[in-house]
Order: sequence, then C-alpha cells, then structure tokens
Amino acid sequence: MFQDEGSSSAPSSPLQFFSTMSLSPSLGSPYPWLKELKSEERGLYLIHLLLTCANHVATGSLENANAALEQISQLASADGDTMQRIAAYFTEALADRILKAWPGLHTALNSTKISLVSEEILVRKVFFEMLPFLKVAVVLTNQAIMEAMEGEKMVHIIDLNAAEPAQWIALLQVLSARPEGPPHLRITGVHQQKDVLDQMAHRLTEVAEKLDIPFQFCPIVSKLENLDMDKLRVKTGEALAVSSVLQLHSLLASDDELLKRKSPLASKGSNGNHLPRALQMSQGTLGELLEKEMGNRYSPSPDSTSSSPLSLTPSAKLDSFLNAFWDLTPKVMVITEQDSNHNGSTLMERLLEALYSYATLFDCLESTMPRTSLERLKVEKMLFGEEIKNIIACEGSERIERHEKLEKWIQRLDLAGFGNVPLSYYGMLQAKRMLQGYGCNGYRMREENGCVLVSWQDRPLFSVSAWRCRK
Amino acid sequence: MAASSSSGAPLFGIREEDQNQQMRQQHSSATPTSSTAAPAAPTQKKRRNQPGTPNPEAEVIALSPKTLMATNRFICEVCNKGFQREQNLQLHRRGHNLPWKLKQKTTKEPKRKVYLCPEPTCVHHDPSRALGDLTGIKKHYSRKHGEKKWKCEKCSKRYAVQSDWKAHSKTCGTREYRCDCGTLFSRRDSFITHRAFCDALAQESARHPPSLSTIGSSLYGGGSLSNTGLGLSHQVVGPPHQLSSLDHNNQSSLLRLGGSSGADAAARTGQFDHLLSSPSMGSSFRSAQSSAASFFMTGASDHDQSNQQQYHDQDKSFHGLMQFQSPHQHHSGGGANIFNLPFLSNSTTNNTNSYSANNNNLLISPDHFNTNANGSTTGGGSDVSNNLFTGHLMGGGNNMSSGVPSLYSNNGNSQQQAMSSHMSATALLQKAAQMGSTTSNNTTTASLLRSFGSSSSTTTRPDRLGTLVPSSLGGMFGSDQTDQSHLQDLMDSFASGGGGSSIFGNAAFGGYDASANRAINMEDTKLQQQNLGLSNIGGGSDRLTRDFLGVGQVVRSMSGGFSHQRSEQQHGGMEMMSSLDSKSNAAAAVPSTQSFGGGGNFQ
Repeated sequence: MFQDEGSSSAPSSPLQFFSTMSLSPSLGSPYPWLKELKSEERGLYLIHLLLTCANHVATGSLENANAALEQISQLASADGDTMQRIAAYFTEALADRILKAWPGLHTALNSTKISLVSEEILVRKVFFEMLPFLKVAVVLTNQAIMEAMEGEKMVHIIDLNAAEPAQWIALLQVLSARPEGPPHLRITGVHQQKDVLDQMAHRLTEVAEKLDIPFQFCPIVSKLENLDMDKLRVKTGEALAVSSVLQLHSLLASDDELLKRKSPLASKGSNGNHLPRALQMSQGTLGELLEKEMGNRYSPSPDSTSSSPLSLTPSAKLDSFLNAFWDLTPKVMVITEQDSNHNGSTLMERLLEALYSYATLFDCLESTMPRTSLERLKVEKMLFGEEIKNIIACEGSERIERHEKLEKWIQRLDLAGFGNVPLSYYGMLQAKRMLQGYGCNGYRMREENGCVLVSWQDRPLFSVSAWRCRK
Repeated sequence: MAASSSSGAPLFGIREEDQNQQMRQQHSSATPTSSTAAPAAPTQKKRRNQPGTPNPEAEVIALSPKTLMATNRFICEVCNKGFQREQNLQLHRRGHNLPWKLKQKTTKEPKRKVYLCPEPTCVHHDPSRALGDLTGIKKHYSRKHGEKKWKCEKCSKRYAVQSDWKAHSKTCGTREYRCDCGTLFSRRDSFITHRAFCDALAQESARHPPSLSTIGSSLYGGGSLSNTGLGLSHQVVGPPHQLSSLDHNNQSSLLRLGGSSGADAAARTGQFDHLLSSPSMGSSFRSAQSSAASFFMTGASDHDQSNQQQYHDQDKSFHGLMQFQSPHQHHSGGGANIFNLPFLSNSTTNNTNSYSANNNNLLISPDHFNTNANGSTTGGGSDVSNNLFTGHLMGGGNNMSSGVPSLYSNNGNSQQQAMSSHMSATALLQKAAQMGSTTSNNTTTASLLRSFGSSSSTTTRPDRLGTLVPSSLGGMFGSDQTDQSHLQDLMDSFASGGGGSSIFGNAAFGGYDASANRAINMEDTKLQQQNLGLSNIGGGSDRLTRDFLGVGQVVRSMSGGFSHQRSEQQHGGMEMMSSLDSKSNAAAAVPSTQSFGGGGNFQ
C-alpha cells in the first residue's frame, strides 16, 4: 500500500537506500576530516547527506534535519565542484521549506530581497547562449512555424514568453527569403516585464525594417495565468501560430492539489510543514484515488520513458488556457517544456527527480563554463537554484515549476483537442546540426512520436512538440 | 539560428538599460508597438465582429467568385445595363415600362446574412468564420485572393481594391519622412519610432565599435576554458558573419543559419590544424584501425610477445592503446592492459612535468604523427623513434581530446581547476544509486568479468562491443579518474575500431574532430546515432550504467590502498591523468601480463 511506505515515498529508487547506508565517513566524524575528502567521495557523501536531510525534512524531524544541514554546509559550496554546487542549492531549498513553516520568519528573512529585472534577463540570456537546449527549441519552433505558414500572407505569432528576440529575428530572416515573399507579420508578445517587451519590440522592428517585412509587435504585459485572450486580438483571416517556451507548466499550479493530499503520508511527508493548511482541507474520495495513481505514476528509473500507467492530475487553469487557444484555431502551436517529472505529490519524489535532472544541468554547465565564471554562478543561482527552491520548498499555487514529462503533455494536449504535428525531418536535421555545433558529445536529441527530446548524455532535459487543432 | 541568436543576444543584454533610457527620453509617448514600413498593415482600431463567432441564426451565403466579383450583378434584360443593387435595377425597369417592384422596408428585423469566401483554402470558407457583410467579403476576396490591378504610379505599390489604392494615392509622396540613415518612411509614426532607435543605435555603435559586445566576449572568452571551448568560439565566429549577411543580402534562410556552423567548423578545423591536425589523424587512424578491435578482443595471454616488444621502450606507455600500426602487432590488447596498469598500481610522478610534456607533444605532434603514418603504410612497424613519437603523440592526443582543459588551461586559466573536474554529478548520482541497490561486491565483480568475457566473444558485433567495452573500461576510470570525455574517447576508439566504421575519426577525437566530421556525416544519421550510442558514458541505459557503476565500485574497493596513497598528493585531481601520461612511469614498464594479473585479482 502506497501510504504505508511513509515519507520515504520513492523506495523504488535505489538512491533512497543510499541514504540509509552508512558511509565510511560516518556522520559523527570530525569536520576537519570531512574537508579532506576527495571530490568523488565528497560527492557521494553529499548525496547521502542530502537524502538524509530531505527525509528528516519530510518527516518533520527538524532537529535531525538541522544537524544534516550543518554537515552539508561543511561540504557544499556554490563555487565548488558540481556536486558541491548542487548540494548548496538543494540545502538552501530544504532550509527554505523548513522556514516556511514559520511564515513570519520566512517573510521577514526575505523581506528585503530585491529582484533585478536586468539580472534576470542576463541570466536567461546566458542560459540561452551557453546551453544548446533553447536554441534547439528555437530552431524546431521556427521550422514548424515556417512549414505551417507556407503561403500565408497574414501571419500572427503569439509568443507566450516574449523574452528572446533572437528567435524571431531568425524567423524574420527566413520569412524574408520565402519564395512567395514575406507575409505581413504580427507578433504578440506576452511577458510580465514591460522593459523586456520594449526591448523585444525595438530589436524586432529594427530587423523587420531592414528586411522590409511589414511587421508589427504587440506587447501584452501580463502574467500568463492572467492573460486576457481578447488582448491577443486574433483577427479574421490571419494565420495564427503560438509559441510557448518553458511556460505551460506554471499553469499546472493550483491550490486544489492539497485536496488530494490529506493521507497520513502526505501530511506527514511533504506537508509536514504545512500542517495547518493541509488539515483544513476536506478529504475527498477523488483525492484518494488520485493519490494512488500518483503513486503509480512515479517512475523509479530516471531515464526510462516510463511504461507505468500515466494519469493526469486535472488542472483547471491549464485546461481553460488550452481551450481558449483551441478556440483561436492556431495553425500550429509549438511547445517547449522541461522534460522532467518535477510535479510529484511528495517532497521525496520531487527531490529525487530534481536531483537527477539538475545534476545533469549542472554537468552541462560544468562542461561548458569555467567554475570561476560569474555568469555560470548566476545561472546556477538565479535560474536553476530558484527552480530547485520552488520545486522543493513550495506547495500549492506557489509551486509553479511543475515540469512534466513529454508523455504527460501529449496526453494533456490530446485531451484539449489538439493533434500532434510531427516535427519535420528538415527541422530536426537543422537542430541536430546545431547541437553538434556545440562541439561536445554530451548533447543528444532524439525523436519520439513526432516530438523531440534534447538530452545531456542519456537524460532528456527538454521536449519540443508541435500541435494544431484537431477537427 | 545559433549564429543570429548569439549575435543579437549579447548585444541585447548589455544594451537594455541604455536603450530604455533612450526610449524614455526621445520617445516618451511612443508605445512599444511600432508598425513599420507597412502602409497596408491592418489597423486594429476597430474590432469587427469576431470571425469565429458569427450569429448562429444568420443565413450563410456562398457566392461564386464570379458573382462576388461582378461589379453589376443586376442586369437589365432589355438594355443589358448592369446595376449593383437590385433596387436600382427595379427603378431602371420602370423606365422600360417593365413590371417592377421595390422591396418595402419591413418593420421586423431583417434576417442576418453572413458570407463565405469562395476560396476553398481560405479560413473564411468555413461557415464558422464567415464574414458579416457583402462588401466586406468582396474586399476580402479581392485583397486576399484577387489580382492587384491598381498600381500607384508613384511608388509602384499595387492594390486589389480600388478604394485602397485611392486612399494610398492621396497620401503617397505627399508625406515622406527620411531618416539621416537614409531610410524612407511614408508614415509619420513609423518614422518617429525609427528615429528613436536609429539615434540610440548610432550612439551605441559609437561606443561599441564592432559587433561583439563585452558580455558576449566575456562569456565566450570564459567559455573557451572548458571542453566545449571551441564549440563556443564557433559561436563567436558566427554572429558577425550572420549580421553582415543580414545587412547586405537581406536574406538568409534557416538552413543558412544552421549552415553557418559549417563554415565555422571549417574555421575550427583550421584552428586545429596547426595544433593537432586532427583531420589527418582521424583519417590515418581510420586506415590503420580496422583490425584493432580484434586485437583488443584476443585474450591477454596471446600478447606476451607483442607486449614485451612494446615494453622495451618505457616511454611508449601509450603505444598499445593508441597505436595500431600494422596488423601483426597485437598492440591493442597489450595497450588495454598497460593502460590499466599505472592505474591500478598507481605509481605517480610529478604532475606538472607530465603535463607540460604532453602539451609540448601536442604542439609538435602533427609532424611526428605524419612520419608515423608514413611508417605504418610502408609497414615499418617497430621503428623505435617512430614509436617514440607516436607514443608522445598519442599521449598528447589523448590528453587533448580528453583532458581538453589542460590545453585551455595554458591559455591563462587554472589548470588545477580545470583538471579537478572529477566524476560528473550525474555519474555520482548513479553511483550512489548503485551503491544503494547493490549490497554485495561479488555481484559487481561478476559483472566486470562478464563484460570482459563477453567482449572477447563478440568481436564481430560492434554494437555490443560498444556497450561492453565502455562498461569495463569505464569501470576502471569511473572510480577514480572519471574525466568523462577521456573515458569516452578511449571507449569510442575501441568501440568504433571494432565497428571498423568511418566514425572512428569522430570518436577518437571527441568533440573536436566531431565538428569536422559533422559536415561530412551530417546526412548519415544512422552513423551518428551509432556513434552516440557507442559513446555512452555516464548516463547510459540501465544495463550499461549498472555495469559501469558496479565495476567502478569494484575497482574502487580493490584499490583502496591506492586511493590512500593518492591522498598524500598535493594535486588531488590530476594524478590519474598524469599517471596515465607519464613517461617515466615505472609501472608502465611492468609487462602487461602482470598487470592483467593485477586484474586477475578481481577473480
């Protein structure tokens, strides 16, 4: 019975047992000794400590968790080797989770936090530039749009995360070279920050002017979940394309997931620190059902594309969002998502999955940028670190980094009335070429049911898929 | 794509604040929306009823293109005069004394009508997106699907609808805005928008002369330290090229965007030519390689002779592994053994010395290698000086493709730092998982033996070879040394050698040669995929991973003393590489049978 397995909710993962093994540097060993560990041993030890700590956090034994955190802090370091860095961010996330049990404390500690938009932009830029994933997505997206827009004279593109002008500059260039001539192009960009959109408008208009393409950029300053569909102004006769890069998962966030997490496991486990809120929730039978399915859903092997039966947690927000777009009948909708299972119901589930996938991402950075690089540090801290924190520390509607595997997205889009548009061979060829341009053997991509998975070594990290309305 | 994005992007990053200011100052009232150079661009002031939602009760009318385009649909049967409206015809009929009837205005609401576009491919051909009025559908049809008969004499712009043309003619040429940069605008708002950006750009380009911004260069400069440094510098090469093509040709296809990396690959190859001359190495390897795998597969006992021969010269610690000169020298088997040797016994030497030596070798290697290649073609297999050079070369080459950081560390970055990248986090996690699930070392030992055993029985099957060889070798490396690309190279060289396929060049030199080969092998995805499959390391399929990790664990546990020994050294990260590469390595002199005997301890 799933619930009996307690808070170590993913016993199927061998990593779980790792945390219960006693490693040679015993927990009680004096700290100076720890510092002499070799990189590999330290890494293993850190994993061990992290899992131990997470177990304590999940079960709410804060004394132990604190002890573990103290040990980790002796070894982890945001500018050390990969595992040290990962450990640093995971412990921060775990600590944040603990702190959230005292909202006053948590708020107070974060009260003076400032987020610099320019820094965030820079970080995303570095991520875009240094790792090939988003570029592959861009190549595939643009190619899918080009193919869908063939012969169209009025093209309207809705960019749900209008932060990266490079993508559309590339598209403008290809459009200008179209045999049938460039179309009238309108890009509607959705983003939370007006500055970002202004930049976008500026860059794109400039290029469009040079290329002599009739072009219009319509900015919509809005959070995705609050997007007013009327503002998109989809007009008669124009061919519509939608591009979503790493956006849709945030729409999975909802408070009602607490409904289905009232079992002893849940309240003891991932909800240990949210007891008051969790207890307010009624215990529906639907919730129990879902819970069991969630248990099945978890796939122990990080790489397996999972043969276990899938089940979807319904998400009202995403459903209505997809429905609204279905009504606009886009000719193509290209979706890029993190291909990880970070939307598990329990803390341990998510932590294990996140450990694997962020280890991979950190490895990518390790192979690409020097350890001293400030940019790398920022990407790790402000992008990956924040994501990790969100995955580990947050619950309910706060938890927006709900990355899900491709097969889930396929199901969701299918349910919403979209049919898959297989990505073309030509697009994949270009993407593959681009990947190889990185000169590093680690990056791979493979096709799966007309969609593309981009991986580091054999771990898929991002998925790209194209869709249109099924008649 | 890569090119254009990297060009635009860094600029973007650094510019933002300046530009925002500019925009606020000069363009304070301008909306971020700017429609440019598009007089015919649709206005969106007035929203017509949404096309997707016509009144469901409306009568749907489908007219043929002919009817739709007919200027005077209502023809008088007497004089053939045509009228646009039926009412007018009726009035006209009155003049002929024909019966006529004017429609009376009805008090009740007239039945709503919607019209379909006759063009079957048009979205408005679908009743659900019909247009609400006849004039609208007429104009739509001519604009979208009709001939543009009306041409403006001044600017040669063409229009399908006369009224559009008239509206344009009225203003064409009367208002013209010319920016200092030479761009012409017919609309004031586009002009103003342009001016704001144009000035901003002029100022900025005065500050940052060429196309690379500081962000970009610092990024890329930093990036060049690591394994993919070259791949990144390719990005640097890309953008200016892309920009210029944008400026001058005003066209570049996606293909070219991707393709520009081809040019870069060429540039990169060139870059390497003077460092390593990788293409020639790749090809000469390929020619000499075909029999290598079988050597490797043969049992170690068969190699006594060749091994002894090989160990005559202590300096050639890498011969067996990398040098496949002539078919009668069974070096590769010995190589594998010798390879294990310094590793397990771990008698270490001065790290820095061996490093600099390797780097020197690296720089001088092409010549020596060529000599050697010649030697092998002429069959002069065991010439000492040849071997010496080959040994160095291969040591260097290996070091190059695996421990790239060392190459780059010469370029001003900390060698120690680059080299200290041990096991990747992914591999650590998998190892941890493995340790969590494996309780007994015996089982993993078994898997080690199994992989050795089966690899010798699958000489003819490159695929399995690919998975098994890495697993065994990977175990050796995986525990202590674990530079991924290093491993990968070795594995690849064996694996693809066994396959005897042309990917060898690609595999043997890791990412570097891969870029050169890419241009050639691009279309051949199968080969590529095979290569990818072969070069599995850290992440592998379950089986591979398990072997890899299990073996690693065994080796680690067996060489416990060894790791202690290592802990006394100062540079924790480097001894493995150095022990591999060191030429004065005493252990390398031990005959390989012994070293395999050391391996025999496994059993």
